[in-house]
Amino acid sequence: MILFVILLVLVFFGQVAEFFIPTIPWMYNAHVYIVPVFVFFGATVLPFPLMLTLAFVAGFLLDALTAQVIGSRVEISVGSSIVIYAALAGIMHGLRPLFIRGRWEIHCVVCGMCTSAIVLAQYLMITFRRGYVFFSPEIWWQIGGPGIMAVLISPVVFWILHWVAQVTGYPYLPSSRRGEYE
Amino acid sequence: MSRGSIIALLVFGALLGYFLSFGADTTKKVQAAVYHIFSPFLTTGSGLQKQIQGVQGKLKSLEELEKDNAGLRVENRELKATNKALTDVEHEVNRLRHALNYRERSEFKLVAAEILARDSSTWWRTVTINRGKDDGVEGDMPVVTDEGLIGKTTTVSKNISVVLLVSDETCKVAASVEGSREQGIVSGDRVLGGLTPLLTLNFLTKQANLQPGQKAVTSGVGGVFPRGLVIGNVKAFKVRELDGQAQLTPAVDLSQLEDVFVVTGRR
Repeated sequence: MILFVILLVLVFFGQVAEFFIPTIPWMYNAHVYIVPVFVFFGATVLPFPLMLTLAFVAGFLLDALTAQVIGSRVEISVGSSIVIYAALAGIMHGLRPLFIRGRWEIHCVVCGMCTSAIVLAQYLMITFRRGYVFFSPEIWWQIGGPGIMAVLISPVVFWILHWVAQVTGYPYLPSSRRGEYE
Repeated sequence: MSRGSIIALLVFGALLGYFLSFGADTTKKVQAAVYHIFSPFLTTGSGLQKQIQGVQGKLKSLEELEKDNAGLRVENRELKATNKALTDVEHEVNRLRHALNYRERSEFKLVAAEILARDSSTWWRTVTINRGKDDGVEGDMPVVTDEGLIGKTTTVSKNISVVLLVSDETCKVAASVEGSREQGIVSGDRVLGGLTPLLTLNFLTKQANLQPGQKAVTSGVGGVFPRGLVIGNVKAFKVRELDGQAQLTPAVDLSQLEDVFVVTGRR
């Protein structure tokens, strides 16, 4: 439970930090998103109800702080990112057994893919509202860039959070299921 | 699936359905409330960012000083530090004097604001400013500098607001071109490839034949932006199948914004 609270706090402050993290000029000014990395770590280690809660909070904050309402037109409804986060966190949750066995590399790659999937989903939603779709190299970089950055930073973040989990005595599995993975 | 997971899923679904049913007004209210909660952190973060940038600047000076000879190093460091501090003060004084002059001679009622943060999202060009409802700011108010138009406010909380920049695709501005009778709609691009965005002026006549350097200003049509605010200068003009289209260089360097003004009305 302590780890869950820590992850919630990290999601909150990560969302603030994203306002101040500069874009990457050589990736066509792609953004760096750190909140998905926290959420996807949570998805791999937390039980299902807590994973849903974490995805809910992260999705809500993302919609509330970044999506714009132009006039009376809502391009991304509050709640859309919750669905996306929950679906992707569900995929990560499904890879939990591998994570518990210590195979982190897959999760780092999937974390990057899921981060890009959030940006892609947002793009498809605004494209649907604005009426025409196009993909240019700049757009692919804007979508892929955050994923690449997530792949790069996730090993460090995962390692630190794994250490936090150990320090706080977080059991990755309930004692009744521990035998399945040993 | 355990009973706990099923209950969590049901609660999740119910809350999600509730949120997804929000209309534009409710969404704006929710966003304003969240921004209000985040405003102390954004203000603190903005201050920290400026301090870090200041430290980075000083570190650069030290790197340069290491190249100088050993005898002059200490003296040089002191002089550079003093000079840096004075330059910063001079820059600040000039900036504020400039802003004050503009505010005094402007025909609009202006609320001065400072940029707290730049766009945190990939798909919208926005900045966050440190003025909100408490300062008389409301949604859809134009935001300007002495050089020209910046954009308009969207989400407004108690003491913080989000400004949609003119370089955003969804920020449409009715414009006219000085020295011609041409009128059109200015908007930005969906994606910003470089640091300097270009604006597009659409729906011109095919005979417009605009020349580089001509100014595009707000025409006042539409009700959000008052007439006569400079948007940008024509960079290029091309004739399309049905209309003419001009590319504009924004009048204001949108990547270097520090102080802006929210237009709250006319004097």
